[in-house]
Amino acid sequence: MKYAFFLGCLIPAREPGYENSVRKIASELGIELEEMEGANCCAPFSIQSVDYISWLALAARNLCIAENMGLDILTLCNDCYESLLMTNTMLKEDKEIRNKVNEILADVGLEFKGKTNVKIFSDALYEDIGLEKVKNAIKEPFNGLRVAVQPGCHLTKPKRIHFAELAAAAALDDLVEATGAKSITYERKESCCGGPLRGVNDEVALHIAKQKLDGVKAAGADCIVTVCPFCYFELDMGQLEIKRHLNEEHNLPVLHFAELLRMAMGMKLEDWEVRAHRIPLTKILDMKEVK
Amino acid sequence: MQKGVVVIGGGIAGIQASSDLANRGFKVYLVEKSPSIGGRMAQLDKTFPTMDCSMCILAPKMIECVRHPNVQLLTYSEVKDVKGSVGNFKVRVLKKPRYIDERKCTGCGICAENCPSEAPNEFDENIGMRKAVYMPFPQAVPRVMVIDKDNCLECGLCDNVCPANAVNREQQPEEIELDVGAVIVATGFDVFDPSVIPQYGYKRFQNVITAMELERTLCASGPTGGHLIRPSDGKIPRSIAFIQCIGSRDRRKWINHPYCSSICCKYAVKDAVLIKEHEPDSRITIFYIDMRAFGRGFQEFVNRAKSEFGITFTRSNPGEVSEDPNTNNVVVWFEDPITRTVQHASFDLVVLCPTLIPRKGVEELAKTLGAELDSYGFFKSADAVKKPLDTTVSGIFACGYCVGPKTGDIPDSVAQGSATASRVAEVLARLEVA
Amino acid sequence: MSSLDAYFMREVANTPRGRGVLACIQCGRCTSSCLVARVVEEHNPRKLVEMIILGLRSEVLPGPLPWYCLSCFTCLDRCPQGGDVGETMFAIRNLAVREGNIPEGIAAQAQSLFETGRVVTPSRMALINREKYGLGKEPAVNVEAVQKILRKTSFDKLIYRGP
Repeated sequence: MKYAFFLGCLIPAREPGYENSVRKIASELGIELEEMEGANCCAPFSIQSVDYISWLALAARNLCIAENMGLDILTLCNDCYESLLMTNTMLKEDKEIRNKVNEILADVGLEFKGKTNVKIFSDALYEDIGLEKVKNAIKEPFNGLRVAVQPGCHLTKPKRIHFAELAAAAALDDLVEATGAKSITYERKESCCGGPLRGVNDEVALHIAKQKLDGVKAAGADCIVTVCPFCYFELDMGQLEIKRHLNEEHNLPVLHFAELLRMAMGMKLEDWEVRAHRIPLTKILDMKEVK
Repeated sequence: MQKGVVVIGGGIAGIQASSDLANRGFKVYLVEKSPSIGGRMAQLDKTFPTMDCSMCILAPKMIECVRHPNVQLLTYSEVKDVKGSVGNFKVRVLKKPRYIDERKCTGCGICAENCPSEAPNEFDENIGMRKAVYMPFPQAVPRVMVIDKDNCLECGLCDNVCPANAVNREQQPEEIELDVGAVIVATGFDVFDPSVIPQYGYKRFQNVITAMELERTLCASGPTGGHLIRPSDGKIPRSIAFIQCIGSRDRRKWINHPYCSSICCKYAVKDAVLIKEHEPDSRITIFYIDMRAFGRGFQEFVNRAKSEFGITFTRSNPGEVSEDPNTNNVVVWFEDPITRTVQHASFDLVVLCPTLIPRKGVEELAKTLGAELDSYGFFKSADAVKKPLDTTVSGIFACGYCVGPKTGDIPDSVAQGSATASRVAEVLARLEVA
Repeated sequence: MSSLDAYFMREVANTPRGRGVLACIQCGRCTSSCLVARVVEEHNPRKLVEMIILGLRSEVLPGPLPWYCLSCFTCLDRCPQGGDVGETMFAIRNLAVREGNIPEGIAAQAQSLFETGRVVTPSRMALINREKYGLGKEPAVNVEAVQKILRKTSFDKLIYRGP
């Protein structure tokens, strides 16, 4: 399987560990990740809030790059997924919008033809590689690790774009359980982490994050696993801020799904990756030793 | 030309149509899928807005219908094939085996008392249990037991204790060919399953129930003997919330019931008043989008519900409910229409009013009849304005909720039953003259 | 005392993401589902649509209401009218930006996007570490192409924050 690899902005800037884990998993499972030359920011909701056509044009530029590579796009971030998938769907269906956007893209020598598809990492593993192949690659399963899966809003909503809403969240649950962990139910699993308000209204963002963390803690999870770097950042860094401002501790390590999978495939996390987690991973790493 | 009529569906609409036709001299074959006629009306406690006892009105009509010499009742039966055209239909009916001899069974119930196997009771919306050999409900017509083979342990105890020797475990399904001139469909409705919308907590929280389950709870012949108790702990709920429009008026593609079910506002107010009469101290709130109180006497009933019975009407559609794990109380999240802020309120019991949908199996029936359904599964009219009760097949008519939610309350269904009977009589009379 | 703009509802309905405002039946399901509405009293999706319908343009566009939105799409998924009302938040924000109302955090992201093609850029340390950890050089953005596009859509004028 070959994909046009869309990294987005947040991962190179703040979470290189996620990229590292994905690359390692890809090479183990025979997935080729081709660099998208000159790709720009996907234009997440913050940019969508500024201007509609700018969003579509920027997102469409990335879609065109992938089209010219003849590959589907693989994203690692829910917000990139949202932006690119919505743009792809809208431009494929609505001729008027497509013409408008192509008028702008003509200036940079590109034309949207609707030939590519957008996939997020967990869905790509589930649909294109298959659960069986993933299961067969597991060498060191997490026996009984209680994981609170945070699918994140944009993995499954808006439903009319993602149509098989439950399928994407269920696929993520299945993949997490393939590593030997247990995906537990907890209150408000489908709700937001608060990430989008970070930098805009930190107080409210933290409040929303706390609601989520309270629910996870009440359900007795060992850790949180997420696909989205925004969720990761908000729930990981957020716990430090909650400790500082609201004097409450949750002590829930937050992992990227790729990190969980990679560890289960027998590839240990390197020191710099472990240190990147603000809530220490010691609990999880100890568990692996004691197996 | 044949002078017989097959009526498919033994609810109030089908019963009315059958009685009318029988009185006019037609031979009527009333085919009912379940072991007893009665339909939804048999499940209700009281009707609105008169607050009459539902069974008290229904039972005499059921008896009158089946006692009529022109009516032949075929219960536990389904229409499997229809050939021919108006005036000359050949209808093949499959009668499922009850494993009880209808001619011998007196309905005494001794077999059920001794039966060791239990199963959820469909008549009670699966909130109560029945035995594997059972009477569908106390006033069932025909008054004959039936054995549910899937849950029968084949122990033979019923056979041993039956004083009439009515158990016949060798009974086979029976195919019956009927020559009739016309067919009337009156299959009624099912209740939408709210677990498709998980935010309302149905099947996740014990104290969230549907309105039909509430009806069975309030009915004296139901699993609680008419005592209003809540599922989690059997206590009497002191605070109750009704949430309207669960799945109805919903244009989302994966729900696809954009219509208004037309009777939920009515029955919610009825049930609220009923509960208040039982338990005057209870606090009841109805959360609605619009209070659709059209028709005779209904707005007055709503006004009385507010002023005399103190029922709270809150114009706000809650987005979700959650559960208090210690008390199993249900917390409803809604926007208070006065203060315009999001509030949450705890209730002992939450009743959902789900949308009403065509009966399961209606697509197969429509195919057998060759009649068209609309995109929601209701029978299409040959002409929505001039021939609303004619299906798209000449000689086949439909009445009651299976035609669509524009009807649905009991007087409407009765009127439509009579109307289709009249249509049949007219059409067949014209054929005779021709 | 704010003046009412009778055309405001049409104005919003004519924007690409604003047509849902015509379908709203004011049932309140969106607001009762909104996580932020429980925390911030001013943030109320149903009320936003109500204010649009009433023509309260001079209150809505300069106000903070639409900027509290998480764009989590919960309201949009639950709306019985098919969800376009949830998109109204975006439509209002687009209009608000044109009137000069844009929160600092978003303006900073927009600025970064125009200058570098990314909403958030790696620090120098992050770039050094990248190479150290064997991830290779950070893929470069074709900033020229980005700026060409954003000039054509007048994005640069929208976010211009003065000399």
